[in-house]
Amino acid sequence: MAVVKVDKLARSVAEGPSLMTGAFPTKDWMEVPAVFKPGNYAYPTKPEKLEYLNSQQGVSFPNAREWNPEDEDWKLPDNWKDIIIQGLAERLDKFRSLKIFMDCCVRCGACADKCHFFLGTGDPKNMPVLRAELLRSVYRENFTLAGKILGKLAGGREMTVGVLKEWFMYAYQCTECRRCSVFCPYGIDTAEITMMLRELLHLLGIGINWAMEPVANSNRTGNHMGLTPQAFKGNVDFLCEDIENLTGVTVNPTFNRKGAEVLFITPSADVFAEPGIFTCMGYLLLFEAIGLDYTWSTYASEGGNFGLFTSNEMMKKLNAKMYAEAERLGVKWILGGECGHMWRVVHQYMDTMNGPADFMDIPKSPITGTVFENAATSKMVHISEFTADLIKHGKVKFDKSRNAHVKATFHDSCNPARAMGLLDEPRYILDHVVDGWVEMPENTIREKTFCCGSGTALNTDEIMEIRMRSGLPRANAVKYVHDKHDVNTLGCVCAIDRATLTTLVDYWVPGVQVAGLSELVGNALVIEGEQRQELDEGLRTLV
Amino acid sequence: MELTEALQHKQKDIHALWLDRTLNSYVSPGFFKKAKDPFANPVGVNISKALESIFSLLVARAEQSEFSQPLDQIIRIRAVQDFTPAQAVAPLLELKWVIKEIFKKNDKTRDLLSQLDNFDCEIDRVALAGFDIYTECREQLHRCRIRELKSGSHLITDGGCPSRLLDKETALADNKQSDK
Repeated sequence: MAVVKVDKLARSVAEGPSLMTGAFPTKDWMEVPAVFKPGNYAYPTKPEKLEYLNSQQGVSFPNAREWNPEDEDWKLPDNWKDIIIQGLAERLDKFRSLKIFMDCCVRCGACADKCHFFLGTGDPKNMPVLRAELLRSVYRENFTLAGKILGKLAGGREMTVGVLKEWFMYAYQCTECRRCSVFCPYGIDTAEITMMLRELLHLLGIGINWAMEPVANSNRTGNHMGLTPQAFKGNVDFLCEDIENLTGVTVNPTFNRKGAEVLFITPSADVFAEPGIFTCMGYLLLFEAIGLDYTWSTYASEGGNFGLFTSNEMMKKLNAKMYAEAERLGVKWILGGECGHMWRVVHQYMDTMNGPADFMDIPKSPITGTVFENAATSKMVHISEFTADLIKHGKVKFDKSRNAHVKATFHDSCNPARAMGLLDEPRYILDHVVDGWVEMPENTIREKTFCCGSGTALNTDEIMEIRMRSGLPRANAVKYVHDKHDVNTLGCVCAIDRATLTTLVDYWVPGVQVAGLSELVGNALVIEGEQRQELDEGLRTLV
Repeated sequence: MELTEALQHKQKDIHALWLDRTLNSYVSPGFFKKAKDPFANPVGVNISKALESIFSLLVARAEQSEFSQPLDQIIRIRAVQDFTPAQAVAPLLELKWVIKEIFKKNDKTRDLLSQLDNFDCEIDRVALAGFDIYTECREQLHRCRIRELKSGSHLITDGGCPSRLLDKETALADNKQSDK
């Protein structure tokens, strides 16, 4: 089982004197250690957050401590190696997919140049094949006959502190966007390899705060922000006031109302931070326009599920709260807002973890009568599917001139696109709410869409450079349509996108704003009895 | 052969070597050198185009302001990659070495080596302008960081629970606790 190709992929030779000292590789990739310095790692989890989570039922987050990635000593438990190997053994046994992914890669290299982290850095360990090799080499050494006997000759590698540090560095330079998987002839889901790496690291108390604090907050108060029910409702009420000022339409959403037909769940950033709040105003206006019988929940007040980036048990627990709340309120089905990874969890994992949600009905639009058979087991419909269906049946009226300030393109958010196949509905909506919009180049959209570079809880400011370089492939395509077609708005359907693409285009393509699709819907929506002011910037207009 | 004519004549060779050495500053540059699709390979193609433009402008003795776009095209990328400031702008200065390498290989151009002083000064000037752009990019990056912090999203992690902070009594109790 030679690994010549892997070596080749990662090697280059440079000759002659150079001013660019220190950048040329002189060692085999396995011999290049991970070096942590300010700016190239996200801050570790605060011990109190981990201690809190470890005290919760159904999840385990041991070994909470103060530690610094830049220190040589990571204060690992004495038996750390046993914990890792045992943890890997358990996961190989539990997840057949992991076992297959460990064995079936032929290192063809099809994935190598598809990762936005590799494209932005040129670091070979950001090639999905090599990132997976970081785990696979340890797997070979410990779990395959060839690896046990031949070791390095068979691509095996001893589990050392150095390897562990590499895991931490590169498991957090992957946004689990799954673009590489689209190109893998064997369908290896490299995101699941990253998920396993992160799970194994958590066994030793190694994780990042930007993931774990939202997880802790979600577990405690129901949303990433740690908003209490009162604060959550207060924020939505505040948006309702804005809507009334802008459009003259009074919206009166309800909260925790038993017997509502639909439970609406969206990322909490939509009720809290720009530009998500404009998307939220779009939802509120749409529901008012069609007279939807729905309720918000201040308990299931978060669509995002950072458990996906943490551990399968945590993901299951956070996902369960949405369904527990749906059952408590007795709703018929759930309508989900513009979130990215929530849809991966709902579409690909929910059924196995917490399903089937038999206590609800197969979702049926009360306005059009359409039955969403695609959500027959999850009982959860995407807002874009729902809106597109309303448009198709002529149940909503738009005035495109209200989006005259917008020249849009559409960024397929990774998870809705690749994990649930939501490709045409957003485009159909755009066709109806803006006067004209353009696609980015073919190899950067739909299934091949490039990640924002900040998913999986990497949207933190201490790794801004990493985010900018990994977001370059996306921004580069946006720049192309901005330069060629004067595009000034990047539409998307994901809360992390809304927050992080805003920063990304600010650096790479100034003059482009980021908008959730429902914001553009809200801008153009014509509602009976409204007294809309001249809104030059739609729902963003300051009045 | 005159210097300008020689530079134009050797433009292709100079660009190839300059690009090759610039991309060698990446750990695994094979793909950056090979792939020609600008959307599949933004680093390689943008840098290639930028170097091509910069060289053409130098040969044409263009105005300083005309260099801004191609300099931005390469430096904006290198300003967020894993380089020191010196490494980020070093490729611009390397052009001097590259031209001499190419000129050395040919009898006709070898005689021109002694006439490169002025052109070297032009390259220095462009490199300094590149450093200005590098600094602008870094400052913009910090502004991005500050804007994110001000937007409130940092409250997710750094500020504890916003609801708790909004409650005056508990905030007071927290402060007393931290005073101890």
